[in-house]
Amino acid sequence: MVGPVLRAGAWPAVAGVSGVAVVVGGCGAAFPATATMLFPICFALLAAAAAFTLDEPASLVVDVTPTGPVRRTTIRALALLAPLAAGALVMLAAAMRGLALPWTGAGLALAGNVLLGFAAACVVRTRTGEPGAATGTAVVLVLMAPSLVPQVARWVRTFPAPGASGPSSDPVWWIVLAVCVLAIATSAGGRGLPRWRARVAILRRPGALQLCRARPRIEGYRPGTSLSKEAR
Amino acid sequence: MTATLAPARPAADADRATFAALAARETRRFAVNPVFLFAVAMTVWVLSTDPGNVTEIDSVNWIPAVFLGGFGMMATFWLTRSMGASEPVVGVTPVTLPARTAALCVVAIVPFACGGLALLRFVQLIPVGDPAYGAFSPSARIAVLVGQIAVPSLGGPLLGVALGRWVRFPGAAFVLFLILFGWGNLVTALSISRPDSTPLVVLRLFAPFSFFTLRGNTAHLTTWRGSPWFFLGWQLALCAIAVLAALLRGAEGRARLRIVRALGVAGAVAVVMLVLAATGGFTHAVTA
Repeated sequence: MVGPVLRAGAWPAVAGVSGVAVVVGGCGAAFPATATMLFPICFALLAAAAAFTLDEPASLVVDVTPTGPVRRTTIRALALLAPLAAGALVMLAAAMRGLALPWTGAGLALAGNVLLGFAAACVVRTRTGEPGAATGTAVVLVLMAPSLVPQVARWVRTFPAPGASGPSSDPVWWIVLAVCVLAIATSAGGRGLPRWRARVAILRRPGALQLCRARPRIEGYRPGTSLSKEAR
Repeated sequence: MTATLAPARPAADADRATFAALAARETRRFAVNPVFLFAVAMTVWVLSTDPGNVTEIDSVNWIPAVFLGGFGMMATFWLTRSMGASEPVVGVTPVTLPARTAALCVVAIVPFACGGLALLRFVQLIPVGDPAYGAFSPSARIAVLVGQIAVPSLGGPLLGVALGRWVRFPGAAFVLFLILFGWGNLVTALSISRPDSTPLVVLRLFAPFSFFTLRGNTAHLTTWRGSPWFFLGWQLALCAIAVLAALLRGAEGRARLRIVRALGVAGAVAVVMLVLAATGGFTHAVTA
């Protein structure tokens, strides 16, 4: 089960965006003067890559299979290793270049970025089969807000700058991590089918044969449930 | 028997009317796009707040470029791609794909107009005679502002249309936005350490947006090398390339040939403008 679920993931998107992130982060490691500006961009790209891990082009079919959303989400979460590994690689390169960054804070920021992208995708996955593009864009814009809007940067910092004055990024990421865990648990646990699809009525063609009188008829079928379970 | 020939409506008029209707429809769609509305709201918010004691223009001037240009690019990318699912239906209408693309390109007038308004507000906040503009002449200062505020607001959305026509990956717009943002930061940071290096000047100007002055952490304002007027020409050439690249998708026959030729000309003009921009202006960085 793990193999097919993982194989169906949007790997070109995850790998491609992670690759771009590695290039951007690599430039930050190569030119230390730009690290505090390029690392947040790199981490935002990794968050976007994480948002693509739940994309399921065949969701119309997959969502009605017996494999539950918790199991599918758990398997797909393995794909987060790709953006996490890419981020770790960038941080390793920066450490080898002798960059003086607060590494614990940077590691926390990396984990927070990736988990934020995944959690947002989990929430949006309850509505659509391919949440990656919209979620990735939204997450990137949120994460880049402190870099784009100076007024926001006075209040929130998403990357730990060495020796910088102003708010620390650690409390932000601890809060984000806690909220993300809750969001993932809630959205995956309570996800039978995307809400828009759960409302779809499967109409019975007039005059069609009723094959088994003991079982519930197709009109009574609720997507995401099993007919045999309904019969019991 | 007399035969009366009723003058048929020229085909050109019909095409023009169809194009105008399409352009109006696309413009309406763009104007209510949430990403664009957010960009406008953020630009208004930032420019409406009092910047206080401004010692350099670079602390504010890139914000309209990021929001109206960068976010505008994302909005037009989505606008362009949103018709992808309807292509089997839209594709059989009498309107060609290049005509629909041209109608999409027309929507860039909206963010460009917003950029123009942002430019006026910026001049109101920081008058052109202010020392925050560096050592440039008054006309060059206007060129700097037009190149940093108005033209990116036009070029970003045009780039979004071209990207939407050629790239299928749905996250391409925000990835490109981050790459351009990162590139701008990278070359600016490198220029701080070596402001007189010609290759670095070329790299700094090899972007749709570039800074011309920097204060950094010092008390002095440094005016960098590079000609703002030729940089404006480079930016407009990039806009033309974006439009032509977008129109190339789906173009056939003689139209395709003409677009390819025009692309070659625009590319050559862009290269010449970049070289002139890098070699023009001050011969070395001026610190005052």
